[in-house]
Amino acid sequence: MNQVHLELKNVSKAVFRRVNNTRVRTQILSSLDLKVNKGELVTIMGASGSGKSTLLRLVNRLSEADSGIILLNGNDIRSHVPMELRRRIGMVFQVPVTFKGSVRDNLVFGIKLWGGNTGIETLSRDTGIPEDLLDADAGQLSTGEKQRVSIARALGNQPEILLLDEPTSSLDAVSAQRIEMLLLGLQKERDLTILWVTHENEQAERIGGRRLILRDGRLDHA
Amino acid sequence: MLEVLAITFTVFLVILSAAYARRFGIGKEILLAGTRALVQILMLASIILILFRKPLFWSFLVLMMMAAIAGHTTYSRSGKLEMGLPVAFVSITIASLLLLIPFFLVGIFPPEARYIVPTGSILIGNAMNVSSLAIDRYKGEIKNRRAEVETYLALGARPEIAVKACLKQGILSALIPSIDNMKNLGIVWIPGVMTGMLLGGADPMEAASIQIAIFTSIFATGMIASGLLLHFSTDSFFTKAAQLKEDMGQEL
Repeated sequence: MNQVHLELKNVSKAVFRRVNNTRVRTQILSSLDLKVNKGELVTIMGASGSGKSTLLRLVNRLSEADSGIILLNGNDIRSHVPMELRRRIGMVFQVPVTFKGSVRDNLVFGIKLWGGNTGIETLSRDTGIPEDLLDADAGQLSTGEKQRVSIARALGNQPEILLLDEPTSSLDAVSAQRIEMLLLGLQKERDLTILWVTHENEQAERIGGRRLILRDGRLDHA
Repeated sequence: MLEVLAITFTVFLVILSAAYARRFGIGKEILLAGTRALVQILMLASIILILFRKPLFWSFLVLMMMAAIAGHTTYSRSGKLEMGLPVAFVSITIASLLLLIPFFLVGIFPPEARYIVPTGSILIGNAMNVSSLAIDRYKGEIKNRRAEVETYLALGARPEIAVKACLKQGILSALIPSIDNMKNLGIVWIPGVMTGMLLGGADPMEAASIQIAIFTSIFATGMIASGLLLHFSTDSFFTKAAQLKEDMGQEL
């Protein structure tokens, strides 16, 4: 029997948006339910502004749900220290942000912070970062290379769940497919549970896994 | 006689400046600011006159009041951050006292109201200016670099680590005018204390030595006050669950 890794029960979230200088409350997620098994890949599609990113942010507590409960291995995520929760649930953003310093400085960040035993060489090899790039200034990399660094940096924390917020949307088609292959390979290799947000139907088909669509604040099968 | 001439000259200048400033639409503001400055400085002179005859305790009480007003000004500049008022007041007070007391301990000035109040007020005033600039810039940096801050948080970093670069930039930006002033001291301008002492007939070397001591104290006060303020304000930008508050820029 598959073990439930992550579960969202009756989760709701509203956000405030500024319209003509007035704060307007918009309900983004309404009584949303989701169960994800260990090692499962789930792709979440939906129109812009449908709440895909917000959903991911609730899972690693970058944002707080208004109501409902989110369980990690059966325990309420609010019972975890937020920093420790975020180490266990890694996130890769749509636009990659590299920190000041070299690629090596970026990769070593999580390892220094959490005292992990993942080697820089393993991380760079697994994520396709050439060794001669390790001492390059991270700020000077191409967007595709930056995204690889972001993925490697997140993996340095040895997360059990990876949240991917349109990780290839700022890349050209070739780089995007390389990153896709990389992530799918890592998922199998490391038995990662992945929630992959995308707005592209074709990409969701390529990725495979369980496909869901976020519509009117709830998840349906695509 | 001298004071009557100086005050008359000031009133004349304020009126003239306000009249000229009308063409820029700020005539009323200049008139109001000039009048306020004149009344306030005369009030201060009267207070110092009274303080000459009072125990030193009263001088420190006046400085505390100045620090409270300075704290409130910085707090308003911060956008009225949670806990911002006590943090601003304590930061400015600690930094100013830390640099004021040595002047009297090492004997540069005798412990009298005529030295304590003006020197303290210079330190407090500058600590306020630097702190206001620093907190304003710090807040702006966090808003503009929300994506970077949240990338740090998403890796499990504590808020202090996530905003470290923003804090550094906030302090640096606020200190740039002081650093530039220090570089050009004596070349482009003769600062207030030295000017005052020279006009009062003091020896130029003595005036210069005291000026540089005060100048470096001003710099150190600003740096310490803004450092304390920014460090202890960091929590105000985050929730208890280490989430960047939603009003700190657009959520991604």
